Amino acid sequence: MSEYRPFHRPQRPFWWARAPYRGYSLRELSGVGVALYGAVLLAGLACLWRGPAAFASYRAWLATPGSLLLHLLLLAAMLLHMVTWFQTLPKTMPKLIIGGVAVPQRRITALGLATALLCCAALLGAAIGAAS
Amino acid sequence: MSKRSTAPIFWLLFGAGGMVAALIGPALILLTGVMAPFDLGVSFPDYGTLLAFARHPLGKLALLAVIALFLWHGAERACLTLRDMRVGPGWLLSWATYGIAGLGSLITLSLLLAIGF
Repeated sequence: MSEYRPFHRPQRPFWWARAPYRGYSLRELSGVGVALYGAVLLAGLACLWRGPAAFASYRAWLATPGSLLLHLLLLAAMLLHMVTWFQTLPKTMPKLIIGGVAVPQRRITALGLATALLCCAALLGAAIGAAS
Repeated sequence: MSKRSTAPIFWLLFGAGGMVAALIGPALILLTGVMAPFDLGVSFPDYGTLLAFARHPLGKLALLAVIALFLWHGAERACLTLRDMRVGPGWLLSWATYGIAGLGSLITLSLLLAIGF
């Protein structure tokens, strides 16, 4: 009779915070940062729905040092997400073959990052243009 | 008949959210969290302008896409990583993470409808 006795490789506590898993954990954490920013926007939408007074207090909170610190941390997470997202992209998509030659992964990453920077620049440019 | 996996649904939402975040996320945070509140280059839009944006169908679509997809993206990442870390039983982790994203999406949708057209 066979008995179900799976082998569990012993693992150090907090293995996810140590090399070589640290980078992986940081990348996954950046995704949580993305969701947190979504929650910040959701709070703003709720205040917008409640009325001008509630929205004024949301706006006042956005101008506090605590909010600035939070947004700078979220910005760092978002930038890490941007870079790692396009590093992962060529590994998850089907092999791109142009003219019988596979496009190198690094070129796909570079192309994706360039597109993202262009999108960000366009959005910032539009916002600054609308303000002036 | 075999039970079909629900994973592709969550994977699709994760991918869509990840792509939107990677393309415009940094600029969005810079605008709404750093530049607008402190009047750096852009001035904070007044209440009426933002209300008009949230009442426009395209504005609603943009808000729903950004908020809900960002929540689903984080939920998938958190769910898979917490499972790897063996924090708790898998079904509980799925319900906790996808639950928050689903609830957040429902609230976003309700607010967008309640805010009017």
